[in-house]
Amino acid sequence: MSGSEILSTLLGSEVRGDLLVLFHRNPGLIDTVDGVARRIGRTTVAVISEVRELLVVGVLMQKRIGASEVVFLDRAKDRELLEAVANHLKTVRISGEN
Amino acid sequence: MHMSLRVRESSLTNPRGNVESVPGGLSSDQRFDAEKAFSSVLVSTVREAVGNALGRNVLEVLTSNGLLDDANNSKEFDRKLELLFGNGAGVLERMVVKDLNRRLGIRYDSEASFDYEKSLETARQVCFLEGRLN
Repeated sequence: MSGSEILSTLLGSEVRGDLLVLFHRNPGLIDTVDGVARRIGRTTVAVISEVRELLVVGVLMQKRIGASEVVFLDRAKDRELLEAVANHLKTVRISGEN
Repeated sequence: MHMSLRVRESSLTNPRGNVESVPGGLSSDQRFDAEKAFSSVLVSTVREAVGNALGRNVLEVLTSNGLLDDANNSKEFDRKLELLFGNGAGVLERMVVKDLNRRLGIRYDSEASFDYEKSLETARQVCFLEGRLN
């Protein structure tokens, strides 16, 4: 997956952006999708497919604790993906005419 | 609350309005201070929004690319953001406005239609009005 594709996935929706901010601000957070949705002021329905996208790209991981499925940040993968995004952005020229 | 609503209405009728559209007007010194204060709040909000979403490395790249040099110029900022982030630019702009509105006590509705330029203008008006009231 290229840096550009990673970027498109990470910023694919406002909810996904909110999820990234939540987990980056709280890198040790482990919670259910319901709990995560509440934390960002959204409904579970609005969040579930966005969480799935972040699971697919690998930023988030899922595991079972007791009767609950919980999600959490994969810090190493997150670092790796954001590094790829940063390297991609280094190649983009933004100077020029207004 | 009432004041914010008035400001928002003023901004809607004059979306490109500048400082002069703030009721009562400001002296040139007050205007300069208010513009400076708004610029500072905006740049720190952009830094925080980008940093929280995409991390410190990405923020450093954007800073060295000069993205934040134009944070106060919404059109130029918008253009650069789109070049860099493509469709993701809209998401980042929403995140910036959401954060900015939270700082300034302006209600943010993620379901409502979104215009970055108008949102910044509203925030600027509120910032100026608060500066005048302080």
